[in-house]
Amino acid sequence: MSNRRSRQSSSAPRISDDQIIDLVTKLREILPEIGQRRRSDKVSASKVLQETCNYIRNLNREVDNLSERLAQLLESVDEDSPQAAVIRSLLM
Amino acid sequence: MQPTSSMKEEFLKKWQMGLQIYRPLIDNTSVSERRKAIKLSADVAMASLRKGTTCWSRALIQKTATEDNFLVRQMLSGIKAETLINKKLPKVMCHRKIVRRSKMILRRRQSRSAIEEVAAKARKLVKKKTQGLRNVVPGGEFMSNDVLLIQETLDYIVSLQTQVNVMRSIVDAAEAGSERTAYYLGKLKFAIEDG
Repeated sequence: MSNRRSRQSSSAPRISDDQIIDLVTKLREILPEIGQRRRSDKVSASKVLQETCNYIRNLNREVDNLSERLAQLLESVDEDSPQAAVIRSLLM
Repeated sequence: MQPTSSMKEEFLKKWQMGLQIYRPLIDNTSVSERRKAIKLSADVAMASLRKGTTCWSRALIQKTATEDNFLVRQMLSGIKAETLINKKLPKVMCHRKIVRRSKMILRRRQSRSAIEEVAAKARKLVKKKTQGLRNVVPGGEFMSNDVLLIQETLDYIVSLQTQVNVMRSIVDAAEAGSERTAYYLGKLKFAIEDG
């Protein structure tokens, strides 16, 4: 089955290329830096995909940082303090 | 496409539910254990927003279940937890080494014009980047279809933005403590309602 696929790759249907172009355009719109540029500016699909990978990695890293900050905060706060009450109401 | 206020609210509720499950443990564990619990709850909360309708969310739930089966079952009890955890992910569609080898053989037999060379290089570069995407999107390794991969990526990014947005607001408010709580809480509600 995989052999058949590779032999057909040079005559693959064009329809899926348009779909991909459309999706890459959508990706570009939600990326922070590239998305800000004018639509008329040409950005290659390859660059959009690369920026997408970077963006996802950054978002994951930020989630890790936020989790760490929160864990540290829960560690350091005094049980009876008003701040602890605030945290409890926010989180639970 | 942006995180909506209803997405943010639902994420917050689910995340709070996950943290409540951990509550008995939170007081007696190390910082790193706590961090892991916070992150896992946030991930399950984010994935459950999609109610099993996307590939990435199913993959993320399965991955989290291997790290903390109990938490996942508790958080998903309303949404067919069993089927989501045990649902079989599709097998990899084609063995990459075999495809690569047959493509190389084919290339040696063909002779190409300059334009074809450029187009082929561009296609190869895009292929490489989509491979990178498969590595960062949960379940990406099972998405052999590029269209599906990019659709899933779009949804995954919006969900991640929701997760980061809400977590940032909560952690900022928590760190501010009692002095400026009123201001931050107001800002949080405002941010959630504003969508």
